[in-house]
Amino acid sequence: MAKLTCEGRTIREINAEIRRLLKDGEAVTVSSPGARHNLGVALLESGDVLFDGSVGYYCAGLIDGVKVRIKGSAGWGLAESMLSGEVIVEGNAGNSAGAAIRGGALVVQGDSGARTGVSMKNGLIIVTGSCGYMSGFMGQGGKMIICGDAAEAFGDSMYETICFVGGEIADLGNDAIVAESTDEDKQFLDASLTRYLPASVCANLPDGGDFKKVVSDRKLWNFKKSEWKTWEQAL
Amino acid sequence: MCGIAGYYDKSSGSTGLIGCTVLDMLRALGCRGPDSAGVALYHAPADGDFVLQIKLGEAGHSQNPTENVIAKVSALSKPKDVSTTGGYLRLTIDGTLDPGRVAAAVESTGSEVEVVSMGRRLEIVKQVGSPDRLEETFRISEFKGSHSIGHTRMSTESKVDLSHSQPFWAHGCPDVAIVHNGHITNYHKLRRQYEQHGTRFYTENDSEIIGVYVAQGLSRGLSLEEVLHAALADWDGSFSCLVSTADAMGFVKDSFAHKPLLFGETDGFAVVATEEVALRAVFGSELKVREAGAREVKVWRN
Amino acid sequence: MSESSSTPRVLQKSGIFSSSVIEDIQTKAESGIYRIRGYGTLRERRWATFDDLTFLPCSLTRIPLEGYREKCSTKTVLGSRFAEKPIELDIPVMITGMSWGALSYNAKVALAKGASEIGSSNTTGDGGMMAAERENSKTLIYEVLPSRYGINVHHMRMSDGIELTIGQGAKPGTGGLLLETKVSDEISKQRELPVGVDQRSPARHPDMLGPDDMIIKIEELREATGWQVPIFVKLGASRVYDDVKLAAKAGADMVVVDGMEGGTGASPAIFQDHTGIPTLAAVCEARAALEDMGLYGKVQLIIAGGIRDGVDAAKAMALGADAIYIGTAALIALNCNRPLYVDDYHKLGTEPHFCHHCHTGQCPVGVTTQDPELMKRLPIDEAAERVTNLLRAMTLEIQMLARSCGKSDVHHLEPEDMAALTPEASAICKVPLAGTRRVWGS
Repeated sequence: MAKLTCEGRTIREINAEIRRLLKDGEAVTVSSPGARHNLGVALLESGDVLFDGSVGYYCAGLIDGVKVRIKGSAGWGLAESMLSGEVIVEGNAGNSAGAAIRGGALVVQGDSGARTGVSMKNGLIIVTGSCGYMSGFMGQGGKMIICGDAAEAFGDSMYETICFVGGEIADLGNDAIVAESTDEDKQFLDASLTRYLPASVCANLPDGGDFKKVVSDRKLWNFKKSEWKTWEQAL
Repeated sequence: MCGIAGYYDKSSGSTGLIGCTVLDMLRALGCRGPDSAGVALYHAPADGDFVLQIKLGEAGHSQNPTENVIAKVSALSKPKDVSTTGGYLRLTIDGTLDPGRVAAAVESTGSEVEVVSMGRRLEIVKQVGSPDRLEETFRISEFKGSHSIGHTRMSTESKVDLSHSQPFWAHGCPDVAIVHNGHITNYHKLRRQYEQHGTRFYTENDSEIIGVYVAQGLSRGLSLEEVLHAALADWDGSFSCLVSTADAMGFVKDSFAHKPLLFGETDGFAVVATEEVALRAVFGSELKVREAGAREVKVWRN
Repeated sequence: MSESSSTPRVLQKSGIFSSSVIEDIQTKAESGIYRIRGYGTLRERRWATFDDLTFLPCSLTRIPLEGYREKCSTKTVLGSRFAEKPIELDIPVMITGMSWGALSYNAKVALAKGASEIGSSNTTGDGGMMAAERENSKTLIYEVLPSRYGINVHHMRMSDGIELTIGQGAKPGTGGLLLETKVSDEISKQRELPVGVDQRSPARHPDMLGPDDMIIKIEELREATGWQVPIFVKLGASRVYDDVKLAAKAGADMVVVDGMEGGTGASPAIFQDHTGIPTLAAVCEARAALEDMGLYGKVQLIIAGGIRDGVDAAKAMALGADAIYIGTAALIALNCNRPLYVDDYHKLGTEPHFCHHCHTGQCPVGVTTQDPELMKRLPIDEAAERVTNLLRAMTLEIQMLARSCGKSDVHHLEPEDMAALTPEASAICKVPLAGTRRVWGS
């Protein structure tokens, strides 16, 4: 287990050191992150990184394969554009957590801010607490599990992302509907929650069958009268 | 687009080194606002007198600007504790006077002369440059008081100069200051409405409308909470905004959660900042903080 | 008395409710939605453009250079502000970002090959990087767009520059569109969308709201690419003066400003015609912003938006651009609006030279389509050669103009090498109005 401190170092130095240590096969603990920005960006090596404190914007952004744990809270854009890997934050996550992710798993053990999972293309997001305004916005794929409540405009303008909400949904976004959960969905929920959350947390969560499933009603997928002949006249 | 910070001491004494606290938070936010820095500081009431911080304007536009102001104000009452620092004239004056008359008297001495703040507890100092430069000029770190809000500025559509910097005094409303991160997109429309009723604007900065709005709401008898809730309907665009009064500090965040704002509190204090990095820099890793939600309003008062 | 034979019919047309407006209203009355089309603004030209300027070549006061023998350098370096590896091009004209999706595979590869052959660069688009694009581009710039379709850190690290796109000239303030027929199996896979949707991209980045966030985002992009390659910020020309200042303050190596005349594969017609400021105005505001910050020359400026030839490019460079992006012109070189397969133009309800039907996916010449049969009409290597030829011709035009003004380097062109032909152009460019020897409006 290798240790390094953020104090007195630039982000560039910190990230370079993390990469070097991961390449050497070491698990890395990073102390005093002080909620600074761009920590752990573009980590393409596999391995384990622990940030012992809070992180700022875009922590673990653009990663592919690494496992990151954050003991404090995270700022905006946590794990943004992740290709693969696992990011777990023990505290809260700011706005746009999991923005544009294309794979991997993001777990927020506290609450997450507005626009959680915005433009997500694949992968899995789990929020143990509640999520903020317009979460799931323009979600293209992948799955999002909110164990607590969802704020206004949930699941607005989605494509194929499937969301599950254990608590109350303040209101649904444009084109979002509550759909019937299948047995597969329930199994998926139980399996995902057990896999990524501590047993003590799981014990206090609703049953897989009690989560509301939210998907797109697909009415915004095409403009009405969408034969190309209409657009032929759009001079 | 900017960095904002605020600190509120919940104990009734006004002796904490709050200047230091806000200064360190602004330093941590510096990269978000490289153009100017400013703070609004609240100290214990000074015998009920008004404290004025006055921007004197460009040198050479009027000769002896200090003397001119003192002369004009003396017609109302003799000012005390007169000093000049970093382009500001600071004076205290009888607190029973009508604040509007005092400000008008000061500003009548020159078109560039502006009352930057007035209050029995409030002082605003702001200038072009970094928080470090602000500290060099005004020694903010030595200031003791009960609460403070501060700002580092990244100018978007208006000039970079002292007047356009923040915090803004809610002109005419003693002890009320505001800081704003974001952009009020119906600023011009609102401004024209106020101007039709005779309100004077000092800058082209959209954030100034917030001070005007708050001043009008409070003078109509609304509470700070009511003003901030009303703002959600009346202001358009992006805003995370802090407002401080003689005894309270509050924030409001826009409907779309466009601009960040985090806060934390203990039994002893409440603190707010644009980024967690500012909170961690001063309060370490123990303080629990969370991001304010869309349309969230919160006010602390003693 | 009969009126019909003796009284001539006088047809009076409303200046407001023209034929195209009548057609527009009646179409919207059927569809209930705004009009979408490709190409770019169809406004009748009544605003100041590069055509309102003329060059002042050497005469008695200055000495022109001889063609060919007296070299005129076109070498262009971009991104020297912070990047370890600035981009080095042989010519100052580059291919702008256009998506695989809006364009066919063959069109994208032809652009890549054509640009590379002459030492120019290519740019990805709203859909991410194609393998064939990277393989065939000598210099490739990777666009990070609000949609983040296909966003891939590995592709970013394979590129020679990152362009953080805030907006484009044809449609500032909105996201991209790709209509149903063009969201093919391949495109839908690339973009991770259901097949056949009318794709609407978001108007803004998902994790970045404001220039203050952008400072942090630019640092993230540098971290992701090892601080090696230049970071561009691309803006649709709106509040250009303010935006360019902010992009420079946020740490961009260079700024791309794309004017109102810029092209698009599909966007709302009203945006193409009624948003953004013209390219001529935009380059002047952009340069003023950089000069006021003391960064002109340190932060490079790339101008785009309806650049048609070497003359437009040279004028833009004289006004302050370090390099030029072309989009529509490059597609026209590929064959856009060429009188081939004319029956298919008719089927679309148009003619060669009048076609702006990119959004239909039925491009008769295989440029802006996903239909494999139509794409066969655009064999790659011949198309690439046409792109190279256009870039070569444009470069020669710029060089000729520069030499005639006594410059041995195209980057030495200045506003003072021109005169304005209209008061507006004089006021906008701060260049004297020909015949008056003074700048209008100053």
